[in-house]
Amino acid sequence: MGIQTQLRRAIAVFRFAALGYPVVLCALMFDSLARPALAFLLVAAIAAWTGSVGYLYTHRGYRPALLYIDLAVTVAAVIASAWVFAVEGRTTPVSVGPWLAGAVLAWAVARGRRSGVVAGAIVAGVGTVFRGGVSENTFSEAVLLVLTGLMVGHLTRLGVEAEERLGQAAARNAAARERERLARDIHDSVLQVLALVQRRGNAIGGEAAELGRLAGEQEASLRSLITSESYRHPLDGQRDVRGLLGRHSADAVTIAAPAVPVRLPAHAAHQLAAAVASALDNVRDHCPPSTRVWLLVEDDAESVTVTVRDNGPGIEPGRLAEAEAEGRLGVAQSIEGRVTELGGKVAVESVPGQGTEVEMRVPRSRGRTDGDAHSGR
Amino acid sequence: MATLIVVDDHPIWREAISRDLTEAGHRVLASVGEGRAALAAIRRMGPEVAILDMQLPDLSGVEVLRGLGEDCPTKVLVLSASGESADVLEAVKSGARGYLVKSASAPELVEAVERVAAGDAVFTPGLAGMVLGEYRRLANAEAPEGHPSLSERETEVLRLVAKGLTYKEIAARLYLSHRTVQNHVQRTLSKLQLHNRAQLVRYAIEHGIDGGI
Repeated sequence: MGIQTQLRRAIAVFRFAALGYPVVLCALMFDSLARPALAFLLVAAIAAWTGSVGYLYTHRGYRPALLYIDLAVTVAAVIASAWVFAVEGRTTPVSVGPWLAGAVLAWAVARGRRSGVVAGAIVAGVGTVFRGGVSENTFSEAVLLVLTGLMVGHLTRLGVEAEERLGQAAARNAAARERERLARDIHDSVLQVLALVQRRGNAIGGEAAELGRLAGEQEASLRSLITSESYRHPLDGQRDVRGLLGRHSADAVTIAAPAVPVRLPAHAAHQLAAAVASALDNVRDHCPPSTRVWLLVEDDAESVTVTVRDNGPGIEPGRLAEAEAEGRLGVAQSIEGRVTELGGKVAVESVPGQGTEVEMRVPRSRGRTDGDAHSGR
Repeated sequence: MATLIVVDDHPIWREAISRDLTEAGHRVLASVGEGRAALAAIRRMGPEVAILDMQLPDLSGVEVLRGLGEDCPTKVLVLSASGESADVLEAVKSGARGYLVKSASAPELVEAVERVAAGDAVFTPGLAGMVLGEYRRLANAEAPEGHPSLSERETEVLRLVAKGLTYKEIAARLYLSHRTVQNHVQRTLSKLQLHNRAQLVRYAIEHGIDGGI
């Protein structure tokens, strides 16, 4: 239900309640009324109009004709009441009071604050003229009516605008969800076709194998794009290490990781990913092109471990220490530097002919896992 | 020679896989594109191995596996392009004997099918990483009913698989026989499946579901 409909109902209820004002006042002063029979008829007529207009507004909406008639009837009631509700021994007659505001409210809600102010001014003006000119009573009534038109008109516009914005946001949300779903479906079939091209290309050989290799690279990067996208969500300042490493996935690089996100604070996750990238650069620079690499991501409560293993020629014993002594270990130092800055440890293990393994272990909270970097494994 | 059923919603994939396996001397009994049809065909024809895609139009791969139940003699090899590791792990816990990505080459696929048919689990490094992660997750979750755990040797073997070593290389490095390495790997999987089944049964009892599983 829209805000306009709800306001319409509220105004109908208000008008009925406001009817109590002239009814009670007339009943209290019945004996001193100059024209009691007519007063009874006028109250009955006002009540009848209140019922019909309430019904028409709620069921037909704010039709222009109805708004004008409502205002005319209200003005007529003001004029009639000035004469019919005359009280013996008093200069001002009984007022229909807050009931007058009903038509002003209807104009304000239907047409905005300017129309509300105009309707209020008309009703108040007529009242002032027919009920003995400007007095404290008529003046305060006029101010209240005009202010009512202004405020209610203004608030209605604010409400309607908020309602529209809410509706637009909901529509945007629904559209975004639908786009996401479509993207997933499309990605999935694109992945299937790319994987197929890669597979058939490799089987056919020659130029087709080159095409297959390209398709395979695209498949890997697309897949990591989708997955890192979906990993980005729930992470209050943390990053999923798997998402950051996913971009390395390729024919020659296999990634093994848990099926659930591996969280680290954003800074630590980026540093660790940069260290892994250095280790991969190292393999590319020093190993033959056919070398394969495996990345293993492990997560236990205290720490995150990434192992980079290659099946390259390996490093001769002593070469590492030698290179370090000569200050030629730029890459290894950049790995070591990044990991130790996070309070972690790096272990390099290499057997000539059996490849090299670089294990980087980063504690969840700094400095807690010193000393047990290799226990239990 | 093994008898097979291929389940994949992409016709072009079904053909490619069926052709590779037929050329390698295996017999493809049927290839189907939907989960319910797959369940019916597997029950009726009883192939030795079913090759199952994770994304099907009517049922998910995991639902097909659950539908087959534990007494089904057909062994399932999951073939997935989705990269959705959570789905794959769920499939393996629900009884699949192995997992290959779709970009795997034809010889890799044929070898995997033959190993599954012979009763072995097919562990890629990716799957080993997921299984290791799952044991750690279960250990950290501190479930009241306890959790399965790996022996030190099993952890060691699984980590080496995840780091891309072949069974032969692992056997050489740890001074074990090829068969022993295979048994260790197999056991890590069957413990996980047993735990998963027990949990499903417990869930069914707690929620008053009878005979559904």
